Amino acid sequence: MAFTGDGELLQDFLTETAELIEQLDGDLVRLERVTPGSEEATQLLNSIFRALHTVKGAAGFLGLTTVTTFAHAAEDALNRLRHGEAQVTSVVMDALLRSVDVLRSMTGALAAGEEPPLCPADLLEALHAVGTKTDASLQSNKTTVATSDEAASCGTTHPLELPEQKRELLSFMIDDWRSSTEQFDACLRQLEDQAQRSQAAEQLAQLSESLARTADFFELDAFTTLLSAVHDAATRLGGVGDHSFAELLIRLRAVHWLMNEQTTLLEHNRVGLWPVQGLAQHIADLAAGQPLNDEKLADHRNDVRTLLTLEGVLPSDNASAGASDSTSEPAQTTNDNTNVSDARSTAGRHSAAPEATIRVEVGRLEALMNLVGQLVLTKNRMLALSRRLRELEAVAPDLSEEVAASAGDLDRLTSELQVGVMRTRMQPLSKLFDRYPRVIRDMARITGKQINLEIIGKETEVDKSVLELLGDPLIHILRNSADHGIEPPEVRRAAGKPEAGCIRLSAEHQGSHVLVQIIDDGRGISRELVGRKAVERGLTTEEKLATMSDSEVFQFIFAAGFSTAEKVSDLSGRGVGMDVVRTNVTKMNGVINVSSVPGKSTRIDIMIPLTVAIMPAMVVQVKDELYCVPLQSIVEIVRPETTQLHSIKGRPVMRLRDSVLPLVDLDDLLRRSPYALPSREGQAVAGTIAPTGRRCAVVVCVGEQRAGLLVDRLIGQQEIVVKPLDDQSTHGGPFSGATIREDGQVSLILDVVELLRQAGSTVERKAA
Amino acid sequence: MTTTTQTAMTEQDQAVSRHANDTGEQLQLVTFEVGDEEYAIDILTVQEINRMMQITRVPQSPPSVEGVINLRGRIIPVVDLRKRFALAAQEHGNDSRIVVVEVRGRVLGFTVDRVNEVLRVDGSIVEPAPALATGASSDYVRGVGKLDDRLLILLDLERLFQAAELDEVTAAARNAA
Repeated sequence: MAFTGDGELLQDFLTETAELIEQLDGDLVRLERVTPGSEEATQLLNSIFRALHTVKGAAGFLGLTTVTTFAHAAEDALNRLRHGEAQVTSVVMDALLRSVDVLRSMTGALAAGEEPPLCPADLLEALHAVGTKTDASLQSNKTTVATSDEAASCGTTHPLELPEQKRELLSFMIDDWRSSTEQFDACLRQLEDQAQRSQAAEQLAQLSESLARTADFFELDAFTTLLSAVHDAATRLGGVGDHSFAELLIRLRAVHWLMNEQTTLLEHNRVGLWPVQGLAQHIADLAAGQPLNDEKLADHRNDVRTLLTLEGVLPSDNASAGASDSTSEPAQTTNDNTNVSDARSTAGRHSAAPEATIRVEVGRLEALMNLVGQLVLTKNRMLALSRRLRELEAVAPDLSEEVAASAGDLDRLTSELQVGVMRTRMQPLSKLFDRYPRVIRDMARITGKQINLEIIGKETEVDKSVLELLGDPLIHILRNSADHGIEPPEVRRAAGKPEAGCIRLSAEHQGSHVLVQIIDDGRGISRELVGRKAVERGLTTEEKLATMSDSEVFQFIFAAGFSTAEKVSDLSGRGVGMDVVRTNVTKMNGVINVSSVPGKSTRIDIMIPLTVAIMPAMVVQVKDELYCVPLQSIVEIVRPETTQLHSIKGRPVMRLRDSVLPLVDLDDLLRRSPYALPSREGQAVAGTIAPTGRRCAVVVCVGEQRAGLLVDRLIGQQEIVVKPLDDQSTHGGPFSGATIREDGQVSLILDVVELLRQAGSTVERKAA
Repeated sequence: MTTTTQTAMTEQDQAVSRHANDTGEQLQLVTFEVGDEEYAIDILTVQEINRMMQITRVPQSPPSVEGVINLRGRIIPVVDLRKRFALAAQEHGNDSRIVVVEVRGRVLGFTVDRVNEVLRVDGSIVEPAPALATGASSDYVRGVGKLDDRLLILLDLERLFQAAELDEVTAAARNAA
């Protein structure tokens, strides 16, 4: 059956499923590592189950039979794991991980508008084989044992007994129940606001009515009673006085609390047996305008659990007993319902309050960001104009003052807006990092190595564009580390290292930058090997090599097609990956640095700005043109004395304190053109820097490489909006983009990496 | 310019009735001058025509690329057609214009000595360019239109700008030889 449903719904399904698949991947890999039967394993299994289940439910709703059937098979297998009927083995994990891949390809096909591929038969078999020996009797002893002590803290419970056809639906119901509970909570909060009260009451009436029906269907008698009372109350809320309203509200909260409890119980196939008649009656009475018949009933100190005890719903010794089990323990401060739902959402990570976030099409954010960029430019022009106005004598001072003041406001507001819009685009690195355990796990399985991936700081947020550009480089680096860095277990043992290798991926904010580090404790990079290959490939000469620092030599691994691997494997070694790494990092105005201790470790540092759209830059003048140098690359700015200028091997340098700094004459370099004829190149006289006036040297740093860019004049520091310079006729030069200046003119942004590369290669050419 | 256009259209209406049984293909063209020649391009490719503005040079780009301009917040390249046609360089004058076109989703500008008018002509007046007159390097000429005593060179913008870089290297080499 071809899918003919609603396009928008399908889109929502695909987006959500994509996220769930990511989560599944991560959880499954983690599951393999935790101790079976531990608390963490149980939680992971539940989370995995929930994710699969959501996929199944949504697919069922959309009539995607292929997906539903398959998800169901995977879910069954998982259920047997959950009930301890099967063990987590690598065979089982392979089947489950493959299932995730199949799901991914199914959704991929759906996204492309195709019919999802059928699940491979062998995988289905493998899934069915998981723990089938013990048969799929859902009521295994284990479950009952596990839940009995949890349940003890909140009253009596009994196992949920449902006819088979209803049991099928139960899992849907749990999800539905959970989200309805959250909506219920939201309604209650709105009720507190006088302005929204009538609307909230209407919602509550509808919600409780449908919930009551659900409760009836699943034979949750306590809730059928309670929710019917809530429904009646909600329809009559208008006539309730303030005092009664407060009493009513706390009772509604109590209902919410019980619903939350029931959610947990349902997951264990149990039902709470709460005597709720009294509570239901009081809700009805209060709504009808009758006061409470017993004053003690108001003695709840606004605490839900105390109230429930007073109402006789909970056993009296329970109100103060702090239950030890985290899954059934509502937050201590029960007078605040948000805490309760918070505690829940930590248990089930993806049940975060739905009304706190909305999905926004990325295109809209992009458009917004572009507008902000334009606004920043306009603001810059306004500021410049107001400065000029102030200098004009013909203009009344108070007028120019007023213009300056508004321009100042505009400046401040624009900055705030810019930060605000930028923050909407910020996303945690976990979006990327969570995929890697799977990558490393597969690498380890294929190569027969043992590799632990340690991830630190995945909550660090970066701009969306940065996140996208960072994805590929990190995969390549990690693959390289796993394939070439980490040694096979026997080699490691022989070298006196632990058999399992370790790759540490970490991220942290450093000012307006993010530092991403990948450290492995493998064999390290051989300077000799990289150097030899570099010379073989004509990237450098033996002589030059001798003068290079280690990190300069290691930069060669980022050259296109560079590989030191003796043999090409499926995983890496073709020498294409690391090229992508540098290209992308450069695109982000980032720097990358490699260091290594042979036989011990390799460390790769990637430093990238939080955002690529707007950045601070130094505006410099070279002849008649203005250029922007990203501030991030600038170490310092000096004004060399003539006596400081020298030349070494025909290469201009200056003495800067105790070190020798290579100089790059920007005018000379920029005048060079790949289109110029060889004869014309003589005009750039090698090795001599004419000390015209007193030029400034902007000292820039790329990795460990430093150089001074000679410019005629410094104009000043500015926030610039980066515009692409990507037309085929203008790209290729040492520019990372262009920006629009205050006066509306265009300035080019210098690409420092490319500049230094060009400067380096010309020197080499001249020397040859 | 409007008046010229209108006259051109009246003439054109007559032309249409005359050639009613011919191809019937209507061409609406923008004509401009570079050097001594008059060129024409399809009006649908033209986004706008601007007076000269400050053009920022882009070092290390092909010689015929004059630089980039700010087109309402968008940075677009500007090609000097004089250089593209290997004509002697000339300062931009009062009549010089930047014609902004969109070619296959690519927006770029080019400088011309002057913009003449908007014409509507019948497709039948366009003939393929005589190979000898144009030479091998001018495969960007779509055809030649004869209009009374005028000769319009119809440009194929896609080819004109696509092969730009290649052509220039060879052109530069030829000039130097």
